[in-house]
Amino acid sequence: MSTDTNNKLTIRDLKLWYDDFEALHGVDLDIPSGKVTAFIGPSGCGKSTFLRCLNRMNDRIPGCRVQGDVLLEGNDIYAPDVDVVQLRTHIGMVFQKPNPFPKSIYENIAYAPRIHGMMQDGPDMDALVETALKKASIWDEVKDKLKQPGTALSGGQQQRLCIARTIAIQPDVILMDEPCSALDPIATAKIEELMDELKQEYTIVIVTHNMQQAARASDFTAYFYLGDLIEYGKTTDIFTAPKNQRTEDYITGRFG
Amino acid sequence: MSDPLKPSSMDTSLKADNRKRRRARADSRFKWYGIIALGLAMAFLTFFFIDIIGKGLPAFQQAEILVHVEYSEAVKSNYNKAVPKKYRKLISRAWLRSIPMMLEGHPDMIGTSENLWVLADYRVDQFLKGHEGHRLKKKYQQLVAQLETDGKVHLAFNTGFFSSGDSKLPENAGILASAIGSVLVLLLTMLFAVPVGVMTAIYLEEFAPDNHFTRLIEVNINNLAAIPSILYGLLGLAIFINFMGVPRSSALAGGLTLALMTLPIIIIATRAALRAVPDSIREAAYGLGASSLQTVWHHVLPLAIPGILTGSIIGLAQAMGETAPLLIVGMMAYIPDAPHSILEATTVLPAQVYTWSAESIRAFEERTAAGIMVLLAVLLSLNAVAVKLRNRSQQTW
Repeated sequence: MSTDTNNKLTIRDLKLWYDDFEALHGVDLDIPSGKVTAFIGPSGCGKSTFLRCLNRMNDRIPGCRVQGDVLLEGNDIYAPDVDVVQLRTHIGMVFQKPNPFPKSIYENIAYAPRIHGMMQDGPDMDALVETALKKASIWDEVKDKLKQPGTALSGGQQQRLCIARTIAIQPDVILMDEPCSALDPIATAKIEELMDELKQEYTIVIVTHNMQQAARASDFTAYFYLGDLIEYGKTTDIFTAPKNQRTEDYITGRFG
Repeated sequence: MSDPLKPSSMDTSLKADNRKRRRARADSRFKWYGIIALGLAMAFLTFFFIDIIGKGLPAFQQAEILVHVEYSEAVKSNYNKAVPKKYRKLISRAWLRSIPMMLEGHPDMIGTSENLWVLADYRVDQFLKGHEGHRLKKKYQQLVAQLETDGKVHLAFNTGFFSSGDSKLPENAGILASAIGSVLVLLLTMLFAVPVGVMTAIYLEEFAPDNHFTRLIEVNINNLAAIPSILYGLLGLAIFINFMGVPRSSALAGGLTLALMTLPIIIIATRAALRAVPDSIREAAYGLGASSLQTVWHHVLPLAIPGILTGSIIGLAQAMGETAPLLIVGMMAYIPDAPHSILEATTVLPAQVYTWSAESIRAFEERTAAGIMVLLAVLLSLNAVAVKLRNRSQQTW
């Protein structure tokens, strides 16, 4: 668990219940700054649930209770005085299914900065939209059709638009919940390339079902099974010399 | 034991056996049941339209007679003296009665005379249209026939039907008062039911916790949409008229009562429209740090608007055709004059149709049918608007 980098997120003894069902049994994890951390594990192991704890998206789910600490650079995000809206401007999220708003591409990007009062419409906003789209490597494809609806783009483009939309609120951390599961291999490769660029500036946490993707794109990997964190370490170590038998079974495809 | 799933390699026939033939017959029978049901429905509808239009169309024409009218001083006290005695019984009393009042307003006309096409008595009208039971006396029948050959009596477009209110004289009865009443009632219904209904639905769908209490409310709302509408009339009577003191028969009482009736429909339609907005849109907004209100207001509601509008318009159209609850709050009444405020006594189109249908004079029958035609035209246009709105703003993800 020891790493030589700064930790962006520190999670201690995180437990989560859906009504009476305990979905996470006390997870301890440090997510390093400026790296890509991947969560892998079979369906229903709690990796997506865990990811959604990190920006409190689980707050919306009725009957969901969380116990334990999630610290963003030392600040507990579950403290009573934390504003969830403020928190989510620090920790952005990209979802499994590309979900651009059925509005123009420009509007998709400009919406969040506007509601957070970061910027008024005008040349500054135009520049921000351009920067966000450039950082998400989609500028060249959409620069001539900013007024067209974001929903008219292809699936891979939509997902990159969603990433650009998240970048526009200038978060520290970007959470990605199986961002490529609805995409073809070429679009997937573009997103992976993009993650590699984005980790210069952002801490990225990604949930994936695709072990090759975890091996290719991440620096650190955490293996979850039935609500427990089984093993966590450098991706190269996990995939070449797993310490735990269950991890080895999973990554070699004997199980899962 | 032989294997029941062994491939029947010996039997390669592609022809249907009895079992397959029976199945094919059942298929085609089922198709024919559908076609017969549809045909029956179409036949009833066609019969209804032919009947209503056949009866109602003549009401859009009304008999007029060309007479010499003299405005003498004596007319002011006895309007009968304005026209030649011979024709008096052929002319609508409604028109004759209006002469003294007109002369009060225009004293300079006294002493003049003119030839005028004036509204004929309903018996003349019915006689000219060839209706049975016109009740025109034999001697007048000859006179009218004479006038007809002289070109002094004709059927003209019935403007009075749209420009006057109810009357006990069929030739003078029109839908203006009830149409204005309907518009007022509908506006009030819309004003009360749409905002309250939409807000309730948004709260229940987007904000309310899912517990026994909200589930109880949901069940009740669904039940309310299905209870007999006359109960809303009793509720309206108890709450609005007896308790809150809203004047009886007023557009306000009717509008509030119909709003009660329309609320569940609007709530259910709005909730369905909100539920149709994919949750991924809400997640996207929350994920970007939008508040609950911003999420609903900026993203969910705009996508749900077409559905909300469609549901609201259909609910309002239903309210417009409703009579039972209005019976209880006193709107099924003889109201000859159009209301000037929402507190004045008024009636509505379906109530007017009902009132006419209960009249004993046969000439009201065609007006009843014509009233139904107007009501149907308005309702069909409202539904057409609803369909148009739904089609125009259909959203794809």
